[in-house]
Amino acid sequence: MLKRPSSRRRSNHAEVTLNLVPMLDALVTMISFLMYTMAFLSLTMIESPLPMVSSEENVQQLKERPLQLTITVNEKDLLIWSPFDLIPQTTIPNKEDQSPDLLKLHETLIGIKQKYPTETKLILVPKGSTSYDLIVSVIDAAKNLDKTDPVISVKNEKTGVEEQSKYLFGEVVFGNLLGGDE
Amino acid sequence: MAFRKSIRSRRGRKKIHKDFELQLTSMMDILVIILVFLLKSYSTSTNSFSSVPGIKLPISKSQEMPPDSLHLIVTPEAIMFETQRVVEFVQTADALNGGQPTYAFKTEDIDEGGMRITRLYDALNSAREKAEALRAKSPARDANGNPLPFDGILAIQADKRVKYDTLRKVMYTAGAAQFRVFRLLAMKQEQ
Repeated sequence: MLKRPSSRRRSNHAEVTLNLVPMLDALVTMISFLMYTMAFLSLTMIESPLPMVSSEENVQQLKERPLQLTITVNEKDLLIWSPFDLIPQTTIPNKEDQSPDLLKLHETLIGIKQKYPTETKLILVPKGSTSYDLIVSVIDAAKNLDKTDPVISVKNEKTGVEEQSKYLFGEVVFGNLLGGDE
Repeated sequence: MAFRKSIRSRRGRKKIHKDFELQLTSMMDILVIILVFLLKSYSTSTNSFSSVPGIKLPISKSQEMPPDSLHLIVTPEAIMFETQRVVEFVQTADALNGGQPTYAFKTEDIDEGGMRITRLYDALNSAREKAEALRAKSPARDANGNPLPFDGILAIQADKRVKYDTLRKVMYTAGAAQFRVFRLLAMKQEQ
């Protein structure tokens, strides 16, 4: 039997409306939580251990002379040297705008790293007047390897496999922390 | 006259239908987008380092996330250790008017040939003793059954204008209080 025209459009199911209010509540709570606990300050760190004082006797007892790669940050230049003269002393003068030539420093250190691939330590000797900003820039240039830098491979002593070095000179120590050169 | 106006304004008002429902779909869209953005940029680090106003951190290429540790801040006005103002620098009129801060210590605040900051040393020593006492009570032990040694890690946050002379005194003092590792904090450079 045909339905009456007036009842054809009527449906038994009422229009379903999704109740979004609880979902909205959950979202607002989650956003509030995330915003409260989120670290908006994107910090990074440069780790440096306290230097250990070694006596001259200890140094004389060493079988092999260490490189002890040292960078002295002067007002007008950067000086790269080794106390045991294992590398030629290199002076990198500041650029025309009197800022240190960090690119040249990085290139010079890559050359040293290629010669001494297992060396990881670097001694930094800033002057008392050197700013923290400059110290961080020098450490960055001396510690990190860029994507464009040549690959430096180091033999892993445990596995005996050649591995790509992640850092240029990863362990930075302040040489004059306990006194000494200004 | 006023009576007529009132009737007109009543007639002019649109009636709110009883079945009126607020359209929440667009609001949901916005909130979901915000949520996705927050989740994507949410840092999973557990550190709780905060900064203080007026301090400009240097920018570093380093990508290492600083884990939680004892925290020291060198601001242009003072040195703060664990949010407590420990030492105040000498303030000049120029520094107070927004000029170059001095970062100079008062004579009574330093000893050992001008290298050790006495008040900071006391604060760091006290923090170390507290940490050691907590470790002594903790059930965590090393292979010999002794309490775990004090890690001696200090995170240092300093304004980029701070001179090495000031930083050296801070690190020397921390070294005297048996802190062996310094974590210099900087702003991460976007790759």
